[in-house]
Amino acid sequence: MNKNKNNPFKTPKGYFNSFEDKLMDKLSQPESTFPEESAFQVPDNYFETFNKRLRNKLENETKVVPLVPYKKFFAVAASIAAIAILALGYNWNNNQELGFNDLANTDIEAYFENNDFELTPYEIAEVLPVTNTEYSDFLSSPLKGDILLEYLNENVSDFDELNIVDNE
Amino acid sequence: MIEEETLVIDLQTKSRQAQAFEVLVNTYKERLYWQIRSIVLNHDDADDVLQNTFIKVYKNIDGFKGDSKLFSWMYRIATNEALNFIKQRAKTQGVSDTDYQDKLVANLEADVYFEGDEIQLQLQKAIATLPEKQKLVFNMKYFQELKYEEISEILDTSVGGLKASYHLAVKKLEQYLKED
Repeated sequence: MNKNKNNPFKTPKGYFNSFEDKLMDKLSQPESTFPEESAFQVPDNYFETFNKRLRNKLENETKVVPLVPYKKFFAVAASIAAIAILALGYNWNNNQELGFNDLANTDIEAYFENNDFELTPYEIAEVLPVTNTEYSDFLSSPLKGDILLEYLNENVSDFDELNIVDNE
Repeated sequence: MIEEETLVIDLQTKSRQAQAFEVLVNTYKERLYWQIRSIVLNHDDADDVLQNTFIKVYKNIDGFKGDSKLFSWMYRIATNEALNFIKQRAKTQGVSDTDYQDKLVANLEADVYFEGDEIQLQLQKAIATLPEKQKLVFNMKYFQELKYEEISEILDTSVGGLKASYHLAVKKLEQYLKED
């Protein structure tokens, strides 16, 4: 709609509604400096022989091991042995339940190293609960008070930002 | 070509599964291959990832609910498999994803299955500098000539957003090629 009554010009119907699409289409036309074809090639008969290779791989992946009676026997025997060991182990060590502290630091580091969480340290910090968490939980050797004060003195310009609450 | 809906039903029916899977592989292997190859660049790696993609499709077809098109679903699996492959390889070699991708492009010069001239090689070097999303959009639009609507469903991004990404990618590539 033409808002200015003095303006004699008109636009085709729906012009502004489709303008953005037309503009983006035009903007996204590649320049002629780019090569037209992809230079990537495949070996001869690659696609013709692909199905056969895939079938072989799939058969290996989904191969089911048939259960035979003696294996069932072994399975039952192993289950009984495992239950016996667990029961005896529980009696022997009933005062020593496994906890987080029993994990080796190297195991924890390896876990974080080998599992891709796709989170930055800042994102991890945002999702970790910090209530009742002390910095000493994350550090193997405790920070000395004077070193901490020196760091804060050099790096913090506004002490109010620290939101220190007097707990005493 | 067999209707997608019929194909999905056949894939989920044990007695017809093997034959339907053959049809599925024949229908999509080339398109998925080129999507994967545009990410991993090397043929042998693309072959590995393509096989793993179809194995994943085969194992998960019962869980396919038809919320998206079968084609988009498989493209998404292929794309994720290829991106994960790159990340795993980079981690194994102890380098960043970017460094690993630079290495892949550098290897193209000696790749017998890359028959590009200097401009093709420069274009691949330029594409390697793009952020992941722009790289995907550019490859899918420019080399594979997918429609924006198709890319939109695969990458779960609006058509407008894709056009903007493509435009930005083209501008960056032009800039790279002019400067180089």
